[in-house]
Amino acid sequence: MIRTVKPKNARAKRALDKKEPKLVENTKQALFVTGKSSTKVLHDAMVDLSALKKPDIKRFNKKNEVRPFEDAEPLEFFSEKNDTSLMVLGTSSKKRKNNLTFVRTFGYKIYDMIELQIADNYKFLSDFKKQTFAVGLKPMFSFQGSAFDTHPVYKHVKSLFLDFFRGTTTDLHDVAGLQHVISLTIQGDFEDGESLPNVLFRVYKLKTYKSEQGGRKLPRVELEEVGPRFDFKIGRIHSPSPELEKEALKRPKQLEVKTVKNIQLDSMGDKIGTIHMNKQDLGKLQTRKMKGLKSRFDQTSVDSDTENYLNDEEQELQGAEESYGEDFVTANDIDVEPPAKRMKK
Amino acid sequence: MSSFAEEKKNLPVTVEKPIPVTYDLGNLAVFDSNTLDRNDLDSSNAQREENIKKISRDNVQLMINQILSLPIKSTTESANGTSGQSASMTLVQLPEPTSELPREKPLPKPKAPSKWEQFAAKKGIKPKERSGKMVYDEDAGQWVPKWGFNGANKKLDKQWLVEVDDEPKKAGDDLIDPRSLSRAERKKLIKKNELQHKRNMKGAN
Repeated sequence: MIRTVKPKNARAKRALDKKEPKLVENTKQALFVTGKSSTKVLHDAMVDLSALKKPDIKRFNKKNEVRPFEDAEPLEFFSEKNDTSLMVLGTSSKKRKNNLTFVRTFGYKIYDMIELQIADNYKFLSDFKKQTFAVGLKPMFSFQGSAFDTHPVYKHVKSLFLDFFRGTTTDLHDVAGLQHVISLTIQGDFEDGESLPNVLFRVYKLKTYKSEQGGRKLPRVELEEVGPRFDFKIGRIHSPSPELEKEALKRPKQLEVKTVKNIQLDSMGDKIGTIHMNKQDLGKLQTRKMKGLKSRFDQTSVDSDTENYLNDEEQELQGAEESYGEDFVTANDIDVEPPAKRMKK
Repeated sequence: MSSFAEEKKNLPVTVEKPIPVTYDLGNLAVFDSNTLDRNDLDSSNAQREENIKKISRDNVQLMINQILSLPIKSTTESANGTSGQSASMTLVQLPEPTSELPREKPLPKPKAPSKWEQFAAKKGIKPKERSGKMVYDEDAGQWVPKWGFNGANKKLDKQWLVEVDDEPKKAGDDLIDPRSLSRAERKKLIKKNELQHKRNMKGAN
């Protein structure tokens, strides 16, 4: 634990605040440490790996006597001092030649460690005399091998490399920034009890070509190796305790998306709202406009004029009925002159 | 070069896999769990690098197809500030990363409640509703600040006639101008509050 004093000026306070735990975390920084017994191969390998991780790196040039599997305290100190949660330590011995120890810390305490030894058929960036990847771009990852999902050691390797090189997490990504891919392949399938096969680390640059089959949208992808190229042999492993793992994988509750009633997101990310309404009153429905349908011609509200008019009609009808009745010619009526009577009317 | 591009024109952009690959597009990652032949990848095999590249290419092609079918946003933003030219940028909207990766540091702890907050919670005291800084002064017929320059709490200091208690609270107070007494009381309250604040800050750390 490093002694911290209360900051005396605003700059020191800002620097300390930057180190505080955050809800949304910064990109993990990596520290490259040279061990007591290092080789040129290790040095070059670390330079190349740091080139892939740039600009989130720090590199030590002096040798440090660290034996992480015996005493991890110096590494925890480096982690706290430099605020780096990823560390790579290069050591070489007769037993473990060209050995890189990848260490992750959680809250400045060792989270997990894995030893990856560089096999002899390595190639550095400088050995590829081609265009290389641009600094600071987010790489793509391609993991080949079913053991990456099933075997704990390879799960560790997958998690480590994803964590190490993924850079900043964004929701918007420039298409033009999809330039290089880190490919990790397990050297063949294996069964339980067999020795663990190597992990093949390759970096390729993408080349896209217009394709007639893909149409305007989908290109044909070709790869070109840009290096570095390493075959990693797996050495000793330190895995986190279940409690520590649970603690480290916790997601902040504040960032969880609250489900709001009646608002949904579809697969394209469009917002869809459901509106609940009262039953529609069909009496007020607007239909085709016609003069005859105007409200003043409504039958329900009867004004005096129309009432009179209606009454008149009724009377007329009644009169008609009477006259109609009189129209019946009976035997008694024959002596009277019917046409004259009709004229009167 | 053109003939090379011509050659690629007729190659397929789709890939068939016995087991479909899985993606974590938030991290731009693709996971292929198809079987890998050990002989193809052995270091004695001359075609080894070609084989690795071929498998990777197929997976990257699948991933690129997936990424380009995500919703796309186009923006016009100056590509390089010095030239002042604006170029359109095509951005893909990536989903949330799905791979579980450990955090760097534990979740931030909530701030410890101050002594007052603890007391208020115990007593069920709710924060007072704030109704602004100004109050209406009926005598003056205008709005004045509650405190500060010409504040309403300084009313007593400015009065030409001050009511005096029959019995002074402290011995000797009856000799002092009651106006300056009220001012001293106010200053004392401020001091006391500062002290409590300091004590709370110490408790919170």
